[in-house]
Amino acid sequence: MMRTGHTANAATPAPHAAGLVLLVQDLTRAVILSGAAGLVLLLFALGTAQLVNEARAVDNLSFEDIFPSPGEVYDAWELHQDRLLADHIPETLWETLAGLAMAVVLGVLIAGLMDFSPLLRWVLYPVLVVSQTIPIFAIAILLILIFGFGSGPKITVVVLFCFFPVALSTFSGLQSTDPELLSLLRAMGGNSFQLWTKARLPAAMPSFFAGLRIAATYSVVGAIFGEYITAQVGLGVFLKRSYSSFRLDQAYLAIILTAVLSLLLVLLVGLIERLALRWYYTSRRRSWRGPGIY
Amino acid sequence: MEQNACIEVRGVSKTFRDGGRSVHALDDISFSACSGEFVTFIGPSGSGKSTLFNLITGLSEPDTGDILIGGQAVGRRTGLVGYMPQRDLLLPWRSVLNNVILGPELDGQSRRAARQQARELLPLFGLEGFEHAYPDTLSGGMRQRAALLRTFLTGREVLLLDEPFGALDALTRRELQRWLLDVWQRFRKTILFITHDVEEAVFLADRVLVFSARPGRIVTTLEVDLPRPRRSLSLMSDDLRRLEADLLSALEAGNGA
Repeated sequence: MMRTGHTANAATPAPHAAGLVLLVQDLTRAVILSGAAGLVLLLFALGTAQLVNEARAVDNLSFEDIFPSPGEVYDAWELHQDRLLADHIPETLWETLAGLAMAVVLGVLIAGLMDFSPLLRWVLYPVLVVSQTIPIFAIAILLILIFGFGSGPKITVVVLFCFFPVALSTFSGLQSTDPELLSLLRAMGGNSFQLWTKARLPAAMPSFFAGLRIAATYSVVGAIFGEYITAQVGLGVFLKRSYSSFRLDQAYLAIILTAVLSLLLVLLVGLIERLALRWYYTSRRRSWRGPGIY
Repeated sequence: MEQNACIEVRGVSKTFRDGGRSVHALDDISFSACSGEFVTFIGPSGSGKSTLFNLITGLSEPDTGDILIGGQAVGRRTGLVGYMPQRDLLLPWRSVLNNVILGPELDGQSRRAARQQARELLPLFGLEGFEHAYPDTLSGGMRQRAALLRTFLTGREVLLLDEPFGALDALTRRELQRWLLDVWQRFRKTILFITHDVEEAVFLADRVLVFSARPGRIVTTLEVDLPRPRRSLSLMSDDLRRLEADLLSALEAGNGA
């Protein structure tokens, strides 16, 4: 304890009294910190106990029901593949792709507006952030009241999930354009529109694709979420029906299909990115390491 | 044509604000350069040379004084001169060929015609075979040559080069200096060239303008009467050393030493 900083002050009492004050301070701090740590541990233990107790109390499903074997999941696929391939997967895919495309257009538009005018940035930014704090569930119900039970509400949910990462990353990409480069283009006689199309937009592309990759990851989950609330076809409703009939083999099948769709979509975006940003990957060929699965 | 090749700077002063502090960058600068002259600017860091270039390009306006290019006042009009900044600032997403035609493209000219013109100049600029390469894959010297080709292809008669060789190694710099003189003699542009290197200032120039420390003033104008073409340094080394010595003492005087 090297806390001697204040004892040199002439107004403080005798050194041993000051030492006592410091000792009390240190003890208080130790008690509070260990108390907080203890509380976290206690809550962790209580929470775990709660989970274990509840899992033991519900005994209408066996372990085998809850964790079906891969063979059983495959059997579920055999049984349902016609309906899945003909109806559920195409519907989910349509909602995902339509929603993602709309999110890209909307996101880039918002980013452009925010980059174009500081006033719009000031107005739009809080709206963007608030839009992400509203529970999507509440909005989804509202959307069903507006659009009915078709694909509309699901597509809108995908848009709500996906436009934010696209808008935010594209905006930061636009803002990060090298100011010296913009000065050079102006010095060469370029107008604002040319600065946009020839410098800002291309400079923002790597950021845009980073946002698009996040959006692509969210998009399938968004569509499933929308379908889960209410739908006639789609992987989400397949999942919901599986749960309500305690067919966990089917539920796992739906989960696996969702993951596969997401993965394929992210791979597709990665491929488009490689083609579109050839310069970006060419110049970093030596230092750049692909992040594994992408 | 002859008119456009002239630049006249008359009594230019500039003060700008930098974080609440006012900086008197340039004080009563006057000079002119015409028809294929090569003028170098040398002075201590912060003596306002780059500020002067910003005024000539029209990116900012002088507080007092006038800048005329081809007899016309610049004001806030950009695009009247070719400009090459210290960093090459090639667009990383464009191939060399598409980078060098940026000037004509910004002027709204046909890209195809500009590419054709650029292709013809690629060998002279040592970029033949690299037209489809991205800038990040090129060496420092090649990037500077590409940036210079971009500046030449703007088609402007007055070119401003702001320390274009500052970041290169000594050998590459020497090579590019000689090459620049060749190119300049072929095109007869009026070149204004900022440098920190005394030897470079003398070797390239018809005239050297020596700037003082802030606020930047022109303390001396040194006429360089060395014969051209100046391919070999050794042939004129005595004259070169004499001029360099003159320049160094002028610099020291301007620095208040």
